Amino acid sequence: MKKSLRFGSAVAIAAVASMTLASCGFGGGGDDDSASGATTIDLLVPSYSDATQGLWEDVIKGFEAENTDIDVKLEVQSWDNLETVIATKIQAGEAPDIYNGGPFAGFAADDLLYPAEDVVSPETYSDFQDSFLANAEVDGTAYALPLIASARALFVNNALLDQAGVEAPTNWDELLDAATKVSALGGGIAGYGMPLGSEEAQAEAAVWLWGGGGTFGDASTITIDDPSNLPGAEQIKKMIDAGATQADPGSTDRSPLMDIFIQGKIGMQVGLPPTVGQIEENNPDLDYSIVPIPTQDGSPITVGVMDQLMAFQNDGDKQDAITKFLDYYYTSDVYVPWVQAEGFLPVTKSGADALGGEEALKPFLDVLPDAQFYPSTNPGWSAADSAFKALFGQIQTKPAQDVLTEVQAQADAG
Amino acid sequence: MSTTSDVSSTPAGAAERRPRSGGSDSGQSSGGNSGRNPEAPENGRRPRSRRREILAALPWIGPALILIFGVVLYPAVVMFFNSTRDISQSGVDKGSVGFDNFVEVFSFPYFWPIFGRTIVWVVVVVAVTVLLSLGLAQILDKAFPGRRIVRLAVIIPWAASVVMTTMVVYYGLEPYFGIINKFLVDVGLVDTPEGYGWTRNPETAFAWSIVVAVFVSLPFTTYTILAGLATVPGDIVEAAKMDGAGPVRTYFGIVLPQLRGALSVAVLINIINVFNSLPILKVMTGSIPGYDADTIMTLIFKYIQNQHKIDVASALSVVAFLIVIVIVAVYVRVVKPMKEV
Repeated sequence: MKKSLRFGSAVAIAAVASMTLASCGFGGGGDDDSASGATTIDLLVPSYSDATQGLWEDVIKGFEAENTDIDVKLEVQSWDNLETVIATKIQAGEAPDIYNGGPFAGFAADDLLYPAEDVVSPETYSDFQDSFLANAEVDGTAYALPLIASARALFVNNALLDQAGVEAPTNWDELLDAATKVSALGGGIAGYGMPLGSEEAQAEAAVWLWGGGGTFGDASTITIDDPSNLPGAEQIKKMIDAGATQADPGSTDRSPLMDIFIQGKIGMQVGLPPTVGQIEENNPDLDYSIVPIPTQDGSPITVGVMDQLMAFQNDGDKQDAITKFLDYYYTSDVYVPWVQAEGFLPVTKSGADALGGEEALKPFLDVLPDAQFYPSTNPGWSAADSAFKALFGQIQTKPAQDVLTEVQAQADAG
Repeated sequence: MSTTSDVSSTPAGAAERRPRSGGSDSGQSSGGNSGRNPEAPENGRRPRSRRREILAALPWIGPALILIFGVVLYPAVVMFFNSTRDISQSGVDKGSVGFDNFVEVFSFPYFWPIFGRTIVWVVVVVAVTVLLSLGLAQILDKAFPGRRIVRLAVIIPWAASVVMTTMVVYYGLEPYFGIINKFLVDVGLVDTPEGYGWTRNPETAFAWSIVVAVFVSLPFTTYTILAGLATVPGDIVEAAKMDGAGPVRTYFGIVLPQLRGALSVAVLINIINVFNSLPILKVMTGSIPGYDADTIMTLIFKYIQNQHKIDVASALSVVAFLIVIVIVAVYVRVVKPMKEV
């Protein structure tokens, strides 16, 4: 009986927007501690680094000290499991109240989320950078709050490039030439680190496909099998065939490969703001510089990534508590140290002002205006993202056009 | 089983075809007078008394039944149910779609290669495991100094988590810093200085997965066979020796047939285990794009993890479930593991 009731309520929530859901989980999101009059907020977040859990715990401690009637429960998951966990929780009627994740359009399409404006004060809302907020909109309504941003740039191992007698490249031809020469140094040195394995294939794909003038689509359509994406895909093959990359790029994951770069065995690799901190920590002697990503014609481009916070409606009775928590979190004193510790770029205007002078972030803040984003407001992006991860690496062995077609097919089916 | 109260009902050694359940008579007036003479019950009587027996046994087997229902049957029913639904990416049930999910499973272009690979995976892993275990058990059955230490050592792969064991091998095979790769480079078997990407290519990653799977299956199988060896009567082996049979003849003529029961159990449990094994392949072949190193289990996982198609994953799980049942049924028919030697 309990089972059918749960399915019934799931159908109801999909059909009727903002309808209150009969509580049918097992103490997941829907129980107020009426004895003490305290409200419980469930917070589900992914782990960005080893420090993530501690950072959130500090935020919660500070918040609970100010709001004794609200109790925040933290759950930290790895990125690998995050989307499975959230799907399972929603299916069981135990969605968290606040969730930090990537793709959100699917949840918005199922009418599970609060509009962003309903869960933060107007002051907080107006503090977000407009471009980021625009990226969180579905049909003109923002359903997610920007949390952090990151841009990518090319990390160059100066010592290796000097040894090979080449300059840091600005376009594809120079990159191919430089990477080939660095690879020729031998001794297991790779010219260009190309991680097309399942971990983050869509990012490396974006670097190349967009760099050739391609696109993944927009809020209404996903276009991967598109003529504009072909030059980038062909260029990837050209790099691999020339031996300009490490061995087996199609199944190499990003994190382990970055470690190899940090050890000084790779000439060039695309990295993120937190990479700076990793080098600082693990190999401070590495002689490297950060330059914009080379493209077909040398025009600047970077892959911008934005992660969001979103609030699930659940029973609809925790809006006030959620609003209080989010407003507290986005105050400069709380948010800026948090972003800084994680090594990402801030998404609030006040945060950008506070961190503008950071030396390590400067190359990334410089390229941010040229950032293109994934079409994450498209409900189909999540499937496209997975299709890239699962299939794109086959470009090592299959014709570029076939791979694009296959990725598009799986994205459309998802 | 209480053996305290009933001493009168059946004389010991009464040639009953079915042993009667011990609890049936205690405290129950079963069938009044006829209970005295179980040998010749009237024909109409038998089913009723059996039903009564079952009823009387319920309190004893009830908890186990509830457990089986809750832990085995209920999730299986949910799986069958989900396989006929349309479940959205975020896990909301959108209603019934009949057998569309099954159509999607079978129309997937890589399904049959994956199916074939799954069979190869099961057959190779189980066969190699059993052969190695037979040898290992034979060694461990001999008395030699330090035997207990060696027996303990054999258990270790069983005690460690499968994911941990696989991770150790996986990192050992990494280019640049993997210890296995380093060794192969140093002895000159691999000629690239950073090593070979064993876990980056479907064929080699799959082969290494088989090695790991055999490694973690050995302890259980070895111990099952070792237990079987312990039951081989010494006087038969003695008699074979007297008749002039050599060690090989003795092994194949006397010992191996006696191991039939233990071997059947070991093979059956291994088939089910290996077929359902996800972690080894997930770790070893996880970063490889495409479907060239997948088995049905990893494909189910990819449906859930990559495509969030819980409904299609459920359909594939049902298919996998049926495949296991068929394999086991065929095995039981052909090998007849319950047959006496």
